[in-house]
Amino acid sequence: MILANGQIFEESLQNSIISSLKERIPATLKGPKLDPEKIYAAAERLYQRVLKGEFDALAEPLLSMAHLSHETFLEYAKEFSGAGLKKKVELELGASPFAPQEVSPHHYAVRKPLGVLLHIAAGNVDFLPAYSVLEGLLAGNINLLKLPTGDKGLSVKLLQELIKEEPSLAPYIYVFDVPSTEIDTLKELSHYADAIVVWGGDLAVKGVREFADPNSQIIVWGHKLSFAYVDQTTSEEDLSDLAEDICLSNQMLCSSCQGIYFDGADEKDLESFAERFIAVLCATNAKMGPASLGMRAKSALSLLNERMEGRGKIYQKDGVSATIYPDSELVLSFLFRNLWIKPLPEEKIVEVLKPYRGYLQSCALLVDESKKTRVREQLFLAGLTRVVGPHMSLTEPLEAHDGAYALSRYTRIVDYVE
Amino acid sequence: MDHVKKLFRLRHPYDTLKNDDLFVKAMRENCAWHYAHCPEYKAILEREHFKPEMIQHYDDLAKIPYIPTLYFKHHYLASRPDKKMILKVTSSGTSGHNQSKIGYDIYTILRDWGMVKRLFRYHKVWSLKPTHFVVFGYQPHKGNNKAIAKSSWGFTFTSPALSKDYAIRWVNGEYKVDLENIEKKLIRYAKGHHQVRSLGFPAYTFFLLQQMKAHGVHVKLPKGSKMTLGGGWKQFYAQACSKQEFYDLAHEVLGLEEKDIIEFFGAVEHPIMWTTCEKHHFHTPVYARVIIRDPDTFEPLPHGQMGLINLLTPISRAAPLTSIVTDDLGILHDEDCGCGISSPYLEIVGRVGLEDIKTCAAGAEDLLKGAKS
Repeated sequence: MILANGQIFEESLQNSIISSLKERIPATLKGPKLDPEKIYAAAERLYQRVLKGEFDALAEPLLSMAHLSHETFLEYAKEFSGAGLKKKVELELGASPFAPQEVSPHHYAVRKPLGVLLHIAAGNVDFLPAYSVLEGLLAGNINLLKLPTGDKGLSVKLLQELIKEEPSLAPYIYVFDVPSTEIDTLKELSHYADAIVVWGGDLAVKGVREFADPNSQIIVWGHKLSFAYVDQTTSEEDLSDLAEDICLSNQMLCSSCQGIYFDGADEKDLESFAERFIAVLCATNAKMGPASLGMRAKSALSLLNERMEGRGKIYQKDGVSATIYPDSELVLSFLFRNLWIKPLPEEKIVEVLKPYRGYLQSCALLVDESKKTRVREQLFLAGLTRVVGPHMSLTEPLEAHDGAYALSRYTRIVDYVE
Repeated sequence: MDHVKKLFRLRHPYDTLKNDDLFVKAMRENCAWHYAHCPEYKAILEREHFKPEMIQHYDDLAKIPYIPTLYFKHHYLASRPDKKMILKVTSSGTSGHNQSKIGYDIYTILRDWGMVKRLFRYHKVWSLKPTHFVVFGYQPHKGNNKAIAKSSWGFTFTSPALSKDYAIRWVNGEYKVDLENIEKKLIRYAKGHHQVRSLGFPAYTFFLLQQMKAHGVHVKLPKGSKMTLGGGWKQFYAQACSKQEFYDLAHEVLGLEEKDIIEFFGAVEHPIMWTTCEKHHFHTPVYARVIIRDPDTFEPLPHGQMGLINLLTPISRAAPLTSIVTDDLGILHDEDCGCGISSPYLEIVGRVGLEDIKTCAAGAEDLLKGAKS
């Protein structure tokens, strides 16, 4: 599906539309500026339609897949209301983002959009491609979106609705369905872009670097790993909340828990913690209902293989597991309610985690109150960008992505003398 | 290895009930052979405190330590020295990391060949009539060790070949999908008198049939034509295309009857040629047994319940493929399906988990996209 100028086109027209960008983009840039107030107003009208239940049919299947309630959906939608978006812009760019600032007498600095963004979106969250474009719009850019493989059409639908509410957004939004293997087409698209925004893992980023010009700016929102940090004093309640977050997210998000680092290195302490935690995890799992048979079967095979390889001490019950490993490496878990437990004494946090700088994201910090502030600073020093409580997976649209505000990265500062 | 030899000489390939005893003895022999000749296998058994002599009764089969196919991707297990391995084949994962490499010696190949001959005869695949072969798969070239490429090449010898066309051709050092050529050839063969036999991944076959339908093709392939499928339905789990839709499409586009469509399934870690009956069911052949296991406990499940598929066979003398667990979920059915074969049949329901495992299907998708550009 192709979206250009607010209209849907046949895939066969893709190449001719892409070639026409050569004329369309300068025309849009030279035309009237994108007015942020118009975006807020359009978003507000869309939000009112959400409140009336107009999008329920679209949202329900996605919500039930993610075990989210209708209330959560409405709360989330509120962040995309006119007021919500305005708050985001103010937080990320300041109260009057595009107003000139006098740096010294006669010398001004002013924030401008980058111009044209090419978004290479990931497919793990259905709504993400549209979200990425929206951020691009808020920063005043023209947006070219490459849909992820297997996209189910939700993003195009949302963007189309936004344009319906505010037709002047039409020349700022283009959606193309180019397979990642069509390097020549992607190359052509990247020629028009001032920056390429990539959501995805190392492979996706590597792919983009291969076709991008050497001097293209690439903005990466990469795959991240998150974990919990505990000690002997961690409460049952925190463990239970963490277990709930693990069961809800199935550890599928960048911000969800892959494993637990234990403050200490004594084998006996680790074992007694693992026994405590597996009991909590089993109870939560029983309360929430098991993961699907397919997910459980996949983990069961991974654990069987682990056992055959003689790796780790495995605590496994009712389709969930925790495995103690002697090393402190930060790795992906087997997912679907299976995690690792590893020793990491507080004094080693920085040296152990620093090498993973590109992958670090969240930590659910569940240690004794008296040392929380100290440990949090250690985690930030190591390179983490988010230290939160046990419900770690839920992120807010207003939060920075991986330590940076998207909007400031989608703009640039220019100087002039008057 | 007398019992194994006997098992592979049985005249009736589906008479499992009468031959349970023989199967148990053959498994004991096979297990003992690998225990004695493959130190890694011996270690696996010892860790589970298992000895080959413990296989005495049918129920003991479930106690043989089972190896997940995942393990073969990181370990080359062999009970014969390298120089005795005539063939080394890899599974169809697209990256080296995800491939199993398994060696075959002359004994294993001969047993396999005997099995294939008998099953082809039972399912009336052999034919003396001149045939056009259409392979929806890889054209052979010497760098391709994929089991699927080897077996599809072998298939083109089941009757005298008038022609051999491949959907994935080796052109200038790389594989390219050329479905257009296949479509043209099928239309031409439909006008002739000679039977057509096709073999390939369900994915390619399905894409081609869809494409032909879109082009408005409705032909009837000559009498004796058959469509054979192998290499898995993995991609269809996501597409939710039922097998019935597939058969209907084959009828609409090529005029094939349901009974003309035969499906095969096997794996490098389990080189048994499972073949569908006329009702499209994979009945257990005498050469193998299936145990469906509960994923939470690995305990055997009663027939009719879904679980992990544990496949057992004494076929290989070259590698300890005695008892393996695949990464598919399946159900073993006892019902009489009316095809005349009484052994239980295996339904493969789908691949475990959601992780993006690169398989034939994913590779196929990539190649097809390449063809589109």
